Parts: sequence; structure tokens; C-alpha cells
Amino acid sequence: MSTQTNGNNKPLLEAKDIYAGYTDFDILQGVSLEVYPGEIVCVIGPNGAGKSTVFKTIYGFLKIRKGTVIFDGQEITNKRPQQILRAGISNVPQLRSIFPQMTVKENLEMGMYIEKDKKRIAERIEYVLGLFPRLAERRAQMAGTMSGGEQRMLEIGRALMLEPKLILMDEPSAGLAPLITRMIFENVERLNKEIGLTVLMIEQNARQGLEASHRGYVLELGQNSYQGTGQELINNAEVRRAFLGG
Amino acid sequence: MDQFLQALINGILLGGFYAAMVLGFSIIWGVMGVINLSHGEFIMMGAFMAWLFSEPPDYLMEQLKFEALNPIFTYLISIGYQGMDPFLSLIIIMPVMFCFGYLLQKFLINRVVEKPHLVSLLVTFGLSITFANISKLFFSASPRSVDVAYTGAIRMGDVTMSNIKAIVFVGALIMLSALYLFLHRTRLGKSIRAAAQNKNAARMVGIEIDTVYAITFGLCVALTGAAGMMISPTQAVFPYMGPPFTLRAFTITALGGLGSIPGALVGGLVLGITETMIATFVPRIGTNLAIVASFSILVFILITRPQGLLSGLRPMEMEEGT
Repeated sequence: MSTQTNGNNKPLLEAKDIYAGYTDFDILQGVSLEVYPGEIVCVIGPNGAGKSTVFKTIYGFLKIRKGTVIFDGQEITNKRPQQILRAGISNVPQLRSIFPQMTVKENLEMGMYIEKDKKRIAERIEYVLGLFPRLAERRAQMAGTMSGGEQRMLEIGRALMLEPKLILMDEPSAGLAPLITRMIFENVERLNKEIGLTVLMIEQNARQGLEASHRGYVLELGQNSYQGTGQELINNAEVRRAFLGG
Repeated sequence: MDQFLQALINGILLGGFYAAMVLGFSIIWGVMGVINLSHGEFIMMGAFMAWLFSEPPDYLMEQLKFEALNPIFTYLISIGYQGMDPFLSLIIIMPVMFCFGYLLQKFLINRVVEKPHLVSLLVTFGLSITFANISKLFFSASPRSVDVAYTGAIRMGDVTMSNIKAIVFVGALIMLSALYLFLHRTRLGKSIRAAAQNKNAARMVGIEIDTVYAITFGLCVALTGAAGMMISPTQAVFPYMGPPFTLRAFTITALGGLGSIPGALVGGLVLGITETMIATFVPRIGTNLAIVASFSILVFILITRPQGLLSGLRPMEMEEGT
């Protein structure tokens, strides 16, 4: 995939010159990135480059010391996670985030916990199950008894419940076999085409991540180092040497 | 054979009560990972409240010697109040205990939930001593009895079933099924289960963990207080009646799994029947041996199947409080 057409639109998410860190030291030293509607954007970089920290700051889990985050025309810098959820950003974290002893259906229901309209929740469940036939077959199954790949799809499905404008995915391939990882990326690409899902993801597995994305950013030592379309980055000699194994 | 059947029925009735008694302990442990050592004291409080509400006010005034409360008693005498049926007093006991538990969690236990297990263990141990001794201050150490109007027994052939125990058994089953429906069918109940199964994910979907914990604790204390009321007509009520219940709660939770409602029923029945059988068939030392047996069960299960016999809200393991 390399078609990228939304260059003229306003970005959906715009992080400008972000500084943040856990101690006095700033892990992020002026990171900027943009995500346009309908794009899949992948952030790669070595361990400790601050990839996950970027997500934490966008999602309000970590305080931004300097810089702004603008989402859909609104400033969301340092808002609380629930406000960000309401603004239209869902999150698929790296650690297992399903509720293992709830059924697939209940897990999806929890994705819409902040809404109370039962009819609407039921409609959204059917909609999301329609997007994932594998989950639909297992709607009454305990989520914890499913395979890792199915659990990951359930996490994505749950993130879709609130009709988010943007989904953040922190290492969707973490802990999954390569074949399953491919299936997850295929599903992300399919959702991007079918329902125009906009995705910002972090990937350790740089090549597969970039192949599935329109554009990518390379972070190093808390700063932007390269950016470009997925294909450009894959072909870039420096990036190849550093992250893609030559 | 009749003796066996009689012991079996008594065991089942006792087991039903145990199942209801253990719910609060098991769910607090299952949801927030806190081992509540003051569990038995909540039973004691429920039992004392049942006593307070069931006795006529002039008798209480004479027994309690608590000047500050005298105007209330005088007023109650003046309107001709003569005490209420202990089972009826549940409509007061449960809301009061809920509020008590809610506040306790909100202001005290929420502060130690994230800390290592030992901290919450010590806090609840301290609470148990505090509650028992405050009760002694209020009520003195003399054992009280709670009377109901409908003593007597149902006779079926050669076996009998005490009225009160039968009512308690039915009440316990109602509690178990109501709680099960609450946890599985309501939005609040589901948020409690979600918080138990994956705290970080629960936070991510927008569940306010602190509030859910406070509601859970309040609910559990209310259920435990109700269990205290239910046991009050059949045993002496006194400030130090709690610890044996806490210890039994351990055994039943180990048998049934953390926070599992079917597990509480199975565990309660196993323990109730075992205790009754031993007390009936072992001459002389049977009653004391019954308690020994129940803790032997605990040790045996912890060695062979530490995750419990049935799966509950979450597997029985010391989770890292992240």
C-alpha cells in the first residue's frame, strides 16, 4: 500500500514539538507528527526512542511539558484519558487488554462503557461483529479462551465500539506469531479501506508495520529522524541499515 | 440412616448460610485483591444490629447503659415501638452497612489497594481488632441472643428442619442468585467484573476504578451484614464472634475460587456438610474436630489446587498490583 492522497486536507491529529518525560529528564525532545484522515501511520524506532511515550502523552497518561496536541481542530494537550476517549481517539494498548472471563460480546459492550444507550450499544456490537466474522462466530465464548490473534482482533473491535475517528495501536504484533501478525495487519488495512479507519501505530516489527502503512515516522533519542511514505522508508538505505536488518 | 439424613440436611442448611456468609469476603478478594481480615467483624456488626432492632427499647436502655442514647429509647417507648422482626430489620441493616463499607473503602482501603498485600492485610487486621473492641465498649462482652417469633421445626418423616435455618437457607439462595444476576446483567455489575479481570483495561474503557471499588466494598459489607443478621437467631451474639467466620471464609474461598458465586455455594456446602457430619458421627470430640477438619481442608486445597476448585472472577494468584 502506498497510495496517499489526503495531503491537502487538514491533519486529524497534529502533535507539535512535544517535550515529556517520567523524571526531570525529557524522553521526548521535540517530537512532531501528523495523521491525516484515512491514513495508516506507523512510528518506528529503536528501543528507548520514545515511541510508547508519544502514545502516553497523546492519551493523557503522561503530562506534556511543552508542545501541543491538536485533534480534529481541538486542542487536547494534557486532557484526561476519558475526555480523549470522548473526543474520538481509541486505544489498543500493547499489553493484553481484554477481559478474559467475559464473553466476546460483553468485551465489546465494555468498549462503550461511557455510553448508556442500550439500543445503540447493541447496534454497535452487531456492526463490529459484522466487521470481524471470526469474532461473530465466537460471540458467546469467553475471551480468555481465544487465541492470541483473536484476542488482538477483539481489542481492535472493542476500540471501534465508540466510532472513533482515530485508533492508536501500540505494537499490534507484540507477542504474536508472524503469520498472525500478518493477519492482524491485513485486517487493519481492510478496515482502513472499508470504513476509512484512521490508525496511528507503533511497531517494533518495522518492515511489516511500514508495509501496512501509508506513511511512517522514525524516532531516535526522542526526536524525529526520518519520515516519508512507508515504501520510501523501506527503501531508505539509512533506515534499512538501522531498523530493517540491512 | 435417619441420623445420617438428619446430619445431611443440617449440613446443607448450614452450607447455604456459609455460601451467603462468604460472598463478601470472596468478592472483595477477587475484585481488588484485598484479603479482608475484618470480614468476621462485619458479620458481628450485622448480628448486633439485628439484636438492637429486635429488642424492645426499655430492655436496651437497661442493658446498654448509654446515657446519650436514652432520649431515642424514651421516644421509641413513647410511640409504643416494641422491636421488629430481625429479618425485617435487613431493610435497615443492609443500607447502613453499605454506606459504612463504601466510606471505609473510599477513605481508607483505596489508599492501600495498590500497595503490597501485606499492607492491606495489616490494615484489615487492625480494623478487625478495632471493630471488635469498639463493640465491646458499646455492648459489653456478654453474649446476646436474638429471638424470633417463629421458632419450631418442619417435620418430614423422621427428620426435622428448623424453621429459622430453612428461612436462612432460602434467604441465602436469594442473595446468591440476586448477586449473580447483578454482576452479569447490569452495567455496574459488569464494570465490577471488568475491574476484577483487568484493571488497566477497565481504566482504559473509562471505568472509574476507585468508585467501582468503593461500591464493591459497600455491597460486600452489606451482604456480610445481612449474613450476620441471618446467623444471629441461631448463635450467641458477642463482640468476638467474628474470627471463626473469617477463617471459614478462607476455607470456602479456597474451595470455590475467588469471587465465584457457584464456587461459594459448592464450597459452603462442602464445608457445612463436612462439619455437621463430623460433629454428628465422631463421639465426644466431634464438635471441635469439625473445625479442625475445615482447616485441614484449607491446607489440603492450598497444597493441591491453589487456584480453587472452580474458576472465579480471576484465578487465585498473587497478582502484582500494577
